[in-house]
Amino acid sequence: MWKKHRNWLTPVLFIVPGCILFGTIIIASSVESIWISFLDWDGVGQKSWVGLANYSELFADPQFYVSLKNNIIWLVMFMAAPPLGLALALLVNQQIAGMRILKSLFFIPLVLATVTVGVVFGWVYDPNYGLLALIFGLFGATAPALLADEHFVTFAVVAAALWPQIAFCMVLFLAGLNNLSSDIIGAGRVDGARGWNMLWHVVLPQLRQVGFIALAVTVVGALRSFDMIAVMTSGGPFGSSEVLAYQMYEQSIFSYRFGYGAAIATVLFAIMIVFITWYLRVMVRMERETR
Amino acid sequence: MTSKNELSLVNAIKASRRQFMIGTGVALATTALYRPAIANGGEVTIISDIGNAGQRAVLDSIAADFTKKTGTKVTINNMDHEAHKTAIRSYLVVGAPDVCFWFSGNRMKAFVDRGLFDDISDLFAKEGYSDKLGATMTAVTVNGKQYGLPLGGILWGLFYRKDVFADKGWTAPKNWDDFLKFGEAAKSAGMTPISMGTKELWPTGGWFDHMNLRINGLEKHLALMEGKIPYTDPTLKPVFDKWEELIKANFFSASAPSFGWEQAGAALAQKKAAMMDLGGFIKSAFPASEEGQIAFAPFPEIVPGVERYEDFSVNSVHIPAKAKNRQGARDFLAHFYQPDNLGAFLEAEGTIPPRNDCPPSKDPLVNIAVESLKGVKGTSQYYDRDTDPDMAQDGVKGFQEFMVKPERRDQILARLEKTRARIFK
Repeated sequence: MWKKHRNWLTPVLFIVPGCILFGTIIIASSVESIWISFLDWDGVGQKSWVGLANYSELFADPQFYVSLKNNIIWLVMFMAAPPLGLALALLVNQQIAGMRILKSLFFIPLVLATVTVGVVFGWVYDPNYGLLALIFGLFGATAPALLADEHFVTFAVVAAALWPQIAFCMVLFLAGLNNLSSDIIGAGRVDGARGWNMLWHVVLPQLRQVGFIALAVTVVGALRSFDMIAVMTSGGPFGSSEVLAYQMYEQSIFSYRFGYGAAIATVLFAIMIVFITWYLRVMVRMERETR
Repeated sequence: MTSKNELSLVNAIKASRRQFMIGTGVALATTALYRPAIANGGEVTIISDIGNAGQRAVLDSIAADFTKKTGTKVTINNMDHEAHKTAIRSYLVVGAPDVCFWFSGNRMKAFVDRGLFDDISDLFAKEGYSDKLGATMTAVTVNGKQYGLPLGGILWGLFYRKDVFADKGWTAPKNWDDFLKFGEAAKSAGMTPISMGTKELWPTGGWFDHMNLRINGLEKHLALMEGKIPYTDPTLKPVFDKWEELIKANFFSASAPSFGWEQAGAALAQKKAAMMDLGGFIKSAFPASEEGQIAFAPFPEIVPGVERYEDFSVNSVHIPAKAKNRQGARDFLAHFYQPDNLGAFLEAEGTIPPRNDCPPSKDPLVNIAVESLKGVKGTSQYYDRDTDPDMAQDGVKGFQEFMVKPERRDQILARLEKTRARIFK
């Protein structure tokens, strides 16, 4: 019995637990969230059907556009992480004495929990006794209260979040650099490529896959940004640093509006879907090319 | 969300406030001797959100004592205070403990309305709490039934340092003109007149409460909390006018949204700020050796003739409706609520005992608050405990914005009014 069906049973047995987990935790709860977004529900009491009312309220809510704008700021600023990570990787990938220490210095932010990074940067930005205030003080200037200013706050939070993100990209690229084909590099050298030419025509093409993964991880990281905001500003001042994920949390948890929160989640999901579709298409194309 | 019942609560508070205040903090011999229920083994689980290590130790020893007397095992699960505020909504529905800590007033009522807290009127009747409790009883009463035991009360007002005030020759401002003069004096002494950290948003709600209570009085304030008065109502105009006057005069800490109340409290302790609006727990921002320097003053009078009303918020302890061992929980609470145990528990926290037969507090701040409460005509709980949670969230956010951008007042109030209209249909 087992012998006869082993060929198809073994893979099925391996896949089933994953499917169950993915099905219940990702698929089912996503579907349920979309369902809840059509309800008026406080999280514990009666649910009542309101149709698209949550959405029409959301699209008329100025906070929604603030959050959306901040999501875009996150996305755009986070795009700096892959190139900077690559630059760092190229820098620390050289055979120079003491490079290991330098490598680990750049690597450290990745070890810290993002919440820790948030708390530490909160202190750095403190206008009274933070590092930033000290630096400004050296030049006889007063540091701006970055986290209390509605125009600067998102940039300040993203800057803090970029630190571990760049380190993450650096690690990805370092792994990629270790896997470079020495044959191709040798061939390039014979053809007289060095410096910039070598990087552009020989090294970078081989890092394409890694670069794509770094980009994908960065986009996801930017869109799901939440913890840094919760720690550093709680969405403040007056909601100006909220992103969709934080607004969803705030509405569901603090305002007891699960239906409205689910509507925000659904919009965020729709934005993600656009990206995921693009990602899957590129992945499939890459698979075909390498085959 | 609201009911006539709550207004009657207010009236009841007014009526019994005097008796309560006279009784509170006065030591009386304990007459009701506690007799443990039939020792039946079993287990009582408690979820505690107490951050104060000293207070947790008191709770542990009360629990150990209870186990020794009755043989009932007590398990205490400690949670982070802020995390508990979100966790309680799920555990009351699934996996409820037998006893949990929460807040009275509208915060409690939200769960009572959904049938998530057990009616413990029977415990009140059996232990005769109504004779011991006075006014705080109304804070745990809904439709004539009790759903929790009131714990320590927090009287809100202005705190300052005795040494700083003595040094500068200042006295606590009594009325609005005094207050403005005091602010100017503080500024010329290089201090922030009022320390304020609004990262957690709620301190702005307390400031609004004080201004509104001093200008419009308790009844109108509670009507606003219950959604019966629009936020665009002309009676609120003087409140925001006066508040704006303070903001424009730089009374409050600069860049207040970037830090929380604890840092704001530290600024007061470090003599960088002159006063701060908070409850007695401000002492946690002071080094232990300097706690003696803390002094309290009621919020100054604004409109002459408006009686003194204060924010007096009450914490409480409850039995979830889905608790497994509801009898065990009652036995535990009866033990916990004995004057000596309760007194020790609240002493560690520095809050005002709800029972009139608790031993007198050794904490001078508590005694000052008890003394000060005697002059109070009526009390509200606190902005985020008096109104609907959804309304409170938008409200404190709006107040934070107002404190940074007072010129946006009309937009902010229009937004709050939209929220009010949506919630209090």
